[in-house]
Amino acid sequence: MKRTIIVTLVIGMMTMFSANAQKAMDKFMVQVDGLGCPFCAYGLEKKFKEFKGIKNVKIDIETGDFSFKYPAEKALTMQAVEKQVEKAGYTPVTSKIERANGKVEESKGAMLSDSSEGTITKKMMVAGNCGMCEARISKAAKSVNGVSEISWNKDTKMMEVSFDTGATSLTEIEMAIAKAGHDTKNHKAQKVTYDELPACCHYQRITK
Amino acid sequence: MKNTYVILVAILLLSLIAQAQGPPITADKPIMLGGGSFTTKTLTEIRKTERGTFVYVPLMLHYLPSSNSLVAVHLPYINYDIENGASGSSLADIKILGKYQFFRKDATGKTFRIVAKTLQNLPTGEELDVMELSTGKYSGYYGIVAGYETLKYGISNEVGYNWMPDGTLDEFRYKLGFGLPLLKPQYPNKQINLYFEYTNSWLVERDWYQLLYAQGIQYARKNITFDLAVQVPLVNDVDAGRELRHSIFLGTRFTF
Repeated sequence: MKRTIIVTLVIGMMTMFSANAQKAMDKFMVQVDGLGCPFCAYGLEKKFKEFKGIKNVKIDIETGDFSFKYPAEKALTMQAVEKQVEKAGYTPVTSKIERANGKVEESKGAMLSDSSEGTITKKMMVAGNCGMCEARISKAAKSVNGVSEISWNKDTKMMEVSFDTGATSLTEIEMAIAKAGHDTKNHKAQKVTYDELPACCHYQRITK
Repeated sequence: MKNTYVILVAILLLSLIAQAQGPPITADKPIMLGGGSFTTKTLTEIRKTERGTFVYVPLMLHYLPSSNSLVAVHLPYINYDIENGASGSSLADIKILGKYQFFRKDATGKTFRIVAKTLQNLPTGEELDVMELSTGKYSGYYGIVAGYETLKYGISNEVGYNWMPDGTLDEFRYKLGFGLPLLKPQYPNKQINLYFEYTNSWLVERDWYQLLYAQGIQYARKNITFDLAVQVPLVNDVDAGRELRHSIFLGTRFTF
């Protein structure tokens, strides 16, 4: 009985230590361009295996979303991650780090506060179908100077975008998205751009 | 001939324990997989011509010093059986390959790249006068490879010139390849790809011209890749007795 209690305590403590160790991981999310085939994704993963201690490597080749966890104590920087993507032979588009201590960093090392003065969040409908659409819409919106956050739900077709009103406007963001091939309520994509989208991205067009 | 099959089987088995990558089969592509990595591959060719049968088994060692450069050495073995002529096995022409990627344009799920390529053919093989396999003569190939690859299809182009000091195998070459994945793109990869590849070869001094078509299929699952292609001539404008009947390619690849 005594031995059982000791073993239980030891296992319990090990579980707690293990849980603590798992908490002390930074989460990295990079959107990578140039992954034209599953083998490209393999090349990317292989290059990142050089980071000893890397865990939970996930690559969605359709959207280019690449994520992994890395021990927080090693304080891996955004620049080092983006450089590693380049060394693998691909292009990092956007990067985000969720530090174990709760801080969030985005591309170009900018520390995100909750919301700066002049930053507003808007919702609007953007037509699209799939994960590839999501990546394209996000990329187009983020290409607009002043946009800090963007999310799009493929089920509801709703995009939520945060941007600095001093730097850009919702119209500019809509135009960038339409230019990438996705209709919004106020701006339609050109037919030729729409036709060039992959078959899975051929959404039902918005009619005014 | 028996030795050839033993080596072939050994290389195929060796590949089972290793990693894979998926370029075209008879053509080349400009995508390189990560700086600082090594790749070992083989692409055995069984070439049947009016003149005889040639089995070419190269062992290719590729190294990428950076994400946009590659150096490689190809160590080939050849078995030949020339009708009413010699037969035997020997080392073929060793090749040194260099590639440098000077243009890259990436987008989500697609990439377009261009590389400069050179292939130095060393005179280590028998003088069999078999193009690209065993000539026993030095030659240098200089070309450009451009490729556009997406998750739905891939296109590769290669244009170049093979220069030989005495000119007998000076060749203008153009390759065009299309790749078509049959399964949904997924990672870790599980793929069946079809390849449709054309090779134009014009031997300037001999005024020979060949247009070859290769139909290839590639199976890849996780870290294992097998390539199979059959190449047949569409135009065979060469001297009598030298025409190509067909070539069969069997390949495997892995990276470490």
